[in-house]
Amino acid sequence: MRRAPRFAFARGARAVAISWLTLVGALALLAPILPLPYPPAQPDLAHFSLPPFTAGSAHWLGTDPLGRDVLTELVFGARTALGLSVVATVLANALGALLGGAAGFWRNQLRLPLISSAGLFGLLWWALTLPGAGAGLVVAAVGLAGSWWASARRGPWLPVPLDAGVLGATALLGAVPRLVLVVVLAGSVALSPAGLLGVLVLTSWAGPARLVRAEMLRVGVQPFVAAARALGLPPGRVWWRHALPAACWPLRTAFPLGLAGLLGLESTLSFLGIGLPPEVPSWGQLLNTARLEPTAWWLVAGPGGLLLLTILALQALSSPSALGK
Amino acid sequence: MPKIRLVGDSLTLLTYCLRGAAAWDNGQPVLASDVAFTLKLMQAPGLHNEGIRTQFSFIRELRADPNNARRFTLVCRGQASDFAHASGDFFILPEAALDARGTLRRYRLADLIDRPTNAAPDTVLAAIAQRYVAAAPGRHPERLPGCGPYRLVSWEKDHRLRFQRKPQWWADQLKSPPLVLQAHPQQIDFLVIPDGASAALALRRGEVDLYPEVPARDFNRLRRSAKAQQTLAFYITPSHNVVTAGFNTRRPALADRLTRQALALLFDVPALLAAAQQGLGQRTVGIISPNTDRNYADSLPLLSFAPNRAAALLQQAGWRQKAADPAAGWMRQGPGGEVQRLALQVRYRADETTFTTIGLQFRAAAARLGIAVELRPTEASAFLSTLKAGDFDLYIRLVRGNPYLFNFTSVLHSEAAGEDNLTGFGTPDSDRLVEALAVAQSPAIRGRLLRKLQVELREEMPLVPLFFQYNCLAANRRLRHLYPSSLRPGYAAAAITWAPQAILP
Repeated sequence: MRRAPRFAFARGARAVAISWLTLVGALALLAPILPLPYPPAQPDLAHFSLPPFTAGSAHWLGTDPLGRDVLTELVFGARTALGLSVVATVLANALGALLGGAAGFWRNQLRLPLISSAGLFGLLWWALTLPGAGAGLVVAAVGLAGSWWASARRGPWLPVPLDAGVLGATALLGAVPRLVLVVVLAGSVALSPAGLLGVLVLTSWAGPARLVRAEMLRVGVQPFVAAARALGLPPGRVWWRHALPAACWPLRTAFPLGLAGLLGLESTLSFLGIGLPPEVPSWGQLLNTARLEPTAWWLVAGPGGLLLLTILALQALSSPSALGK
Repeated sequence: MPKIRLVGDSLTLLTYCLRGAAAWDNGQPVLASDVAFTLKLMQAPGLHNEGIRTQFSFIRELRADPNNARRFTLVCRGQASDFAHASGDFFILPEAALDARGTLRRYRLADLIDRPTNAAPDTVLAAIAQRYVAAAPGRHPERLPGCGPYRLVSWEKDHRLRFQRKPQWWADQLKSPPLVLQAHPQQIDFLVIPDGASAALALRRGEVDLYPEVPARDFNRLRRSAKAQQTLAFYITPSHNVVTAGFNTRRPALADRLTRQALALLFDVPALLAAAQQGLGQRTVGIISPNTDRNYADSLPLLSFAPNRAAALLQQAGWRQKAADPAAGWMRQGPGGEVQRLALQVRYRADETTFTTIGLQFRAAAARLGIAVELRPTEASAFLSTLKAGDFDLYIRLVRGNPYLFNFTSVLHSEAAGEDNLTGFGTPDSDRLVEALAVAQSPAIRGRLLRKLQVELREEMPLVPLFFQYNCLAANRRLRHLYPSSLRPGYAAAAITWAPQAILP
């Protein structure tokens, strides 16, 4: 009985959070068809640093010091923020779940046919564009084609220390602050939005991977997995169909938190002037322009408020009581 | 200034005499042999001095006066009127410190200039170059004796440089030293504050006394502030710095002048000048400042913002837009039958707001015509190397000019393409003009050639000079003798004195 008000509050907070996120999501989706008076990234050179609600102006929320319409930038910025962050979080969670799930299921006992290992090695060589990348692609093609043949016969097997590899990589990523890592990566190569997405995914998969690996260690010894193994199902199928879906359960909580983190990171990068080019509208970039016009409060209030509320809403979604646990 | 003597129609003799009092820090006099050594070192292989090498390659020989070790004559190829000015515009290095045995004396300056790039390596020249690189005078001036009034006492990279007045300096003995030989402050600190707003704040707080090249936005904000007016004085001088867009003429899509002319019409210069510079600048037709009447091509009209005319010019250049799908952009067939697409990647320095505004305006204007433009702000450290590598379609940058130097060989001649000639432009006509300009014999001839060059550049349009900036300087009101000028750095640091506190209201 004493816990009822807290539950009520949590349910209320969750409803508000969902409403807010739906509103931002709708803005992002409908941005191109909304009747906005100005297109994004178009400077109005006659009106720069214009305060909001100035009489006789169609810039309802004012303009930034480059003459861009703040309302348009906010709406299209929501599109960029959600588009980039949601996709990056989904991809990072998927990658983390696969790697962490495999590491927790097979530990260091996975054995791959030698020829498949050579194929994977060639593929990695080609993907990293190391010297002689063409030869790597040939090795990959031969190796992966040979895997069909090798799986049918018994061949030399190669142990793959999957668990050690994944744990090592997550420890390595965890040792360097993510912002520093992204700034270094983004600073060393010119990034397109797709490139930035890649960098965000590469630096964000470690958290979900650790969660899923830990859960997989628990799930792997559960009776239903043991039963599936006892039925003689191939290990790959047991992993994919039975163990992995169960092990991914913690991601339900981690997803909104990861999304909030990436949203903040993307805005921080834009604020620092790294990553997205200036023609891509972004809340962080709008915040950044406030440096040029220290008295322009509307450049801080608009994007700062949207960012704060969205991150708070995502955090409210991921709280255990909100999940009904 | 030197004594000038013209020989025949192709040689100039400039006779200089160094001041008797001029001495290095170790007390040794500055001699003609030091000047000869410096000129030879400029031309020595193995050093990264390509820019300075071409700038001074007109000096073919230094004839020392046998009766006076401080007197010498420079033999210059050509008879340009600005030789007298240009020939004295370099720092002299001490021969005794870098080449005590005088090994460089056996080489003739002209031989070093004409030395082919593929010549066999020379151990003596390599040793000199190595010694100079090892001394690293740029980073460690204390390793070489100098002859200036200040010495560097501390250097925190990207933060602060501190110079202290030498207690004894040779020019102190002069009775009435000219402006360039005055050195009043006992200590000068240069602070590096990359962010304009932080620099303006530091000036208001009194943490710095002088702020040159203030961005127009910050300058106007300071000027409007009643509080800042009480402590600060504001100076505006015309500058020779022109904000310029440049096309990569080596790209097939930008190789013809009609396309470049069309794209140049997409810059809305008056609006940009009003917005990005808040009016603190001057429109121009070319790379020569409108304030130099004799040289400025005033017969040319200013560029107008005309997207419709741009579209017509693009069609004239062979570009076509698919009627069914205007979003596909402009296409044409190249000479080899290949399909070219008009899409531009614009590079500019990431920390410059003015360039971002220009980029966004150009992009918006191009987008209305269906031309895709990608903006690529580039880190300041990587910017120039990216442009030299040709990794751009259009750049926006500030070109710093000098009212005394009209040798454009390194920036506009086709032979310098891939080096300082970033656009890669050069036609036989423009090359001839640039060569003739470098050796123009009188200001009148030079003016005529400069006007012709501007007309040629307007026609070919490898560069779009947008506007000249003003040099905005804000300084503590108690500072006197700043001598704000159009030349970099825009003030005379060593000549500055403090007015007494009492004169302030």
